[in-house]
Amino acid sequence: MNPFAIAKPRDYAQATALMRDVRFKLPVLKAGGMDVVDHLKEGLIAPDLLVDVKRLRAAGRTQPVSVDGARIRIEAATTLAEIVEAPELLRQAPVLPMAIESAATPQVRNVATAAGNLLQRPRCWYYRNEQFNCLKKGGATCYAVEGENKFHAIFGDGPCHIVHPSNLAPALYVCDAFVHLTGGDREKLTLAELYHMPDKGVRDECTLKLGEIITHISLAPAPRSGFYAVKEKQSFDWPLVFAAVALELDGNLIKRARVCAGAVAPIPWPLPAVEKALVGLNVDDAMKVREACMKAIDGAVPMSQNAYKLQLLPVAVHRAVRRAAGQTVEA
Amino acid sequence: MNIRFDDLPTSMPTTNRPQNLGSSMNDDASRLDGFTKVTGQAKYGRDQYLPNSLFVGFVRCPVGAAELEAHDDAPAKAVPGVVEVEISGKDGQYQGHSVGYVVAESPAALARGLRALTVKWKRGSVKTRIMDEKLETPDPNDATKDLLAAADHVLEAEYSTEVQTHASLETHGAVIDHKGDSATCYVSTQGTFAATDGLGEAIGLPRSKYEVICEYVGGGFGSKLNGAGKEGVTAAKVAAKYKRPVYCFVSREEDQVDTGNRPSSLVRVKIGFKNDGTVLGGQIRSWGGVGVGRGGGGIALPTGRYTLGKLQKDHTDVRLNAGAPRPFRAPGHPQAAFVEELMLDEMATIAGIDPLELRLKLETSQDRREMMQLGANLIGWTDRQKTGSQTSVLRRGFGMGTTAWGGGGSQAECEVVINRDGSIEARTGTQDIGQGQRSTMGIIPASVLGVPLKFVTVRIGHSTLPVGPGSGGSTTTPSTAPVMQLAAESARKQLLVAIANLNGGDASELDIKDGQVLRSGKPLMSWKDACAKIGGEQILGRGKSEDVKRGEGHSQGVQFVDLTVDSETGVVRVNRVVAYQACGKVIARKLAESQVIGGVIQGLSYALFESRVLDRNVGSMLNANLEMYKIAGSADMPHIEPVLWRKGQTGYRSLGEPPTIPTSGAIACAVFNAIGKPVRSLPITPDKVLAVLQGAKS
Repeated sequence: MNPFAIAKPRDYAQATALMRDVRFKLPVLKAGGMDVVDHLKEGLIAPDLLVDVKRLRAAGRTQPVSVDGARIRIEAATTLAEIVEAPELLRQAPVLPMAIESAATPQVRNVATAAGNLLQRPRCWYYRNEQFNCLKKGGATCYAVEGENKFHAIFGDGPCHIVHPSNLAPALYVCDAFVHLTGGDREKLTLAELYHMPDKGVRDECTLKLGEIITHISLAPAPRSGFYAVKEKQSFDWPLVFAAVALELDGNLIKRARVCAGAVAPIPWPLPAVEKALVGLNVDDAMKVREACMKAIDGAVPMSQNAYKLQLLPVAVHRAVRRAAGQTVEA
Repeated sequence: MNIRFDDLPTSMPTTNRPQNLGSSMNDDASRLDGFTKVTGQAKYGRDQYLPNSLFVGFVRCPVGAAELEAHDDAPAKAVPGVVEVEISGKDGQYQGHSVGYVVAESPAALARGLRALTVKWKRGSVKTRIMDEKLETPDPNDATKDLLAAADHVLEAEYSTEVQTHASLETHGAVIDHKGDSATCYVSTQGTFAATDGLGEAIGLPRSKYEVICEYVGGGFGSKLNGAGKEGVTAAKVAAKYKRPVYCFVSREEDQVDTGNRPSSLVRVKIGFKNDGTVLGGQIRSWGGVGVGRGGGGIALPTGRYTLGKLQKDHTDVRLNAGAPRPFRAPGHPQAAFVEELMLDEMATIAGIDPLELRLKLETSQDRREMMQLGANLIGWTDRQKTGSQTSVLRRGFGMGTTAWGGGGSQAECEVVINRDGSIEARTGTQDIGQGQRSTMGIIPASVLGVPLKFVTVRIGHSTLPVGPGSGGSTTTPSTAPVMQLAAESARKQLLVAIANLNGGDASELDIKDGQVLRSGKPLMSWKDACAKIGGEQILGRGKSEDVKRGEGHSQGVQFVDLTVDSETGVVRVNRVVAYQACGKVIARKLAESQVIGGVIQGLSYALFESRVLDRNVGSMLNANLEMYKIAGSADMPHIEPVLWRKGQTGYRSLGEPPTIPTSGAIACAVFNAIGKPVRSLPITPDKVLAVLQGAKS
């Protein structure tokens, strides 16, 4: 690990200025630090400046989670533990606490932040291993293609086959969330706008420009929402697949559905075909709902070792739908 | 900190198992060093940061096979704080293979030095899996052919297991504090005395001029039985050169690739049996994936616990571009139990016999047969549904497995000192690798002398103390406990004779209970008063292994598993494990239960999660950390109910290895029972469960 400076800016404006300070070659933004510290230890980044935004709040904001008119607002540096504990979210967007509850460990959730969760880098074991100069690190090869790809993507044409690790992003997607920015000309982005596929740039996953910083997240209430993750281990494991769902119901009839999957593609993976197929169904019609969820794997192309995800994804989506509808899921 | 360790709950909650209370010499004692360990006060070898230390790190082959073509040490030597760069080899046969080392003034300088070192490797091709080898099974010989022809059924199947790494919490290493004409060595080892011997040549001092201290070990499971290890020897060499303290503990990644493992296995079975469950025999062909190891991949199959007829056996170790195995908690046994137990369940299903009935029929031990009947009752075997009969999303499965382990006993000497102030010292050099050696060595003299445990100070893990064995083969307690008992009995006798001489009467009328000296059952004086009267400086009781009559028999055990398989996701959740375990005479109930629970946990983790993943093209381990190398965590824990078998148990016997042997097999059987198809490959992960279910459908 090389020596680096740590800056603790007073406000977001100063943070942006530091990120753009030409005296530094590689400034890196740090909030909870979970992933940044991993990167430092793994020898993947050698920053000369860490800009610590963990303690920053937008002007006048003291609550980590608050109601802002018709939307719910989450400050960027809200910890995952605070999201789980926020009563507004439990009532108005249960998909979020559900998503977080199954993430990492209590120790991690006490430190990791909402924005950090959205911007964390992939867990791909080739990317994380300094020895493999993969596409993400400027190399010429995705080692997963001919190598060990059990945990890799089943969607996307490459050239890189990571899966996006954020639990929170698909959950926010189904709540029609925006990430609000400072430090650039863009005020806010949808979740779909926040990320890009590898063919639009393989070195990073998000569209933020240097100096652009997420200040907060806003989302529409989704009281009928749910989340389901399939994990090998129930303690501290990255899901094999997961799904977030928000429903608008008229009686038992599905009027609108938002569905997004995770751990299956290089970005949070919206499932418009499932959304469309669900609309108009009676949510209690298990057979029809299951059939609609089968559309989750439309267009999926598994790699040599991850075809099992084709079986798991519709199950995860179906269970998330059932949770959103308030039904009991066996497991 | 107001919590006292002794105030914490002392007993595993239980549904309906018999309590183990009354089973032991001390039912209530908690681990003597539990508090110091959980509060961080315990200083492990890895914690020894001594003033003026040098730090050593290895130069390692980054991939499965590579030849060091060229190296330029100058950029590394130019890093401030780098003291020495030594490259001595060039043939990298596996990732982590060391070809030299760097010495530096600080951990940071060491890391920078290693990074700055310019090394050019020429990569070779790699073999990472047993199946990369051409696998040939010899034709059955005539006798085997006859057996198979005479059978009503022949089961033909292939089973496999993956490499499990020891993943000890404290990585491998040593700190050598060289003072010129003497040295103190802090080694993380399972053999204090073997480590001392192992340092001899490198440290450049006579054996009498240095000592090894190993007060605490953060796990070893067999991987720290190799003397002082490469780490200790290298540290000693560097320390001897610079006459300074040298720190050499490896990183987690290095630990995962270069400090041993349980080898992978592949087993092909062809076995013939009758409709009534009688097994005629057949053929077992096995392979062990031993990395660059020379042997060590053997599999203890058949286990001998069942009557399986005549078996033709062939085994081959397959060399791969990967780290070599080391002994791992019952080497070759969990693999064997997995194959044998699942094979039995498959045979039972084919013959239409309940697997419990089949085992009762084939079982070779009366003890285990009794455990089977009692354990079946505890787990609720009657709730077990017929294999393959369930169609619900969540399917419940029951399974069982067996274990046995020998006694064993090596050279050991112990001393018990009674001081004139009433304090007691129990001394023996053997280390505590987590099994509770410090505690048992205290409980025995306290119990023999009839005083509270707090009177005893235990001194262990030190090469200047009386000699004791390495912790391998579950022999530490069987070796040392009877000797410590002799030492305590000798001290007790000396004290009572002294008291009798002073107070008149005969020593045989005297007894000590709860810190009181009694004559003919009536209080005579307190322990303290009695000790104050000791003539001379102290009483020294000695014991040595030659004088011990060993306990006989085996540490038999039977485990039962109740689990749930989610047939849509393939996820397996273990609900309960009932673990019957004999271990001879129990010294400390809670510690014995804890050994059984720990064995079950490690077995469960092996069954469901653990697997070293090597990139097949390059040979590098992709999960050389504790994030992607999956080990069971708290949310994966079933309700574990250890039952200490008391019937006919005399003498001190083994408990480290036996309880981890049967768990994976029992889990595999329960998964088979739940879903109707066997998953013949460990770990039993969702993708494999789904594949088997898929196969069943088509």
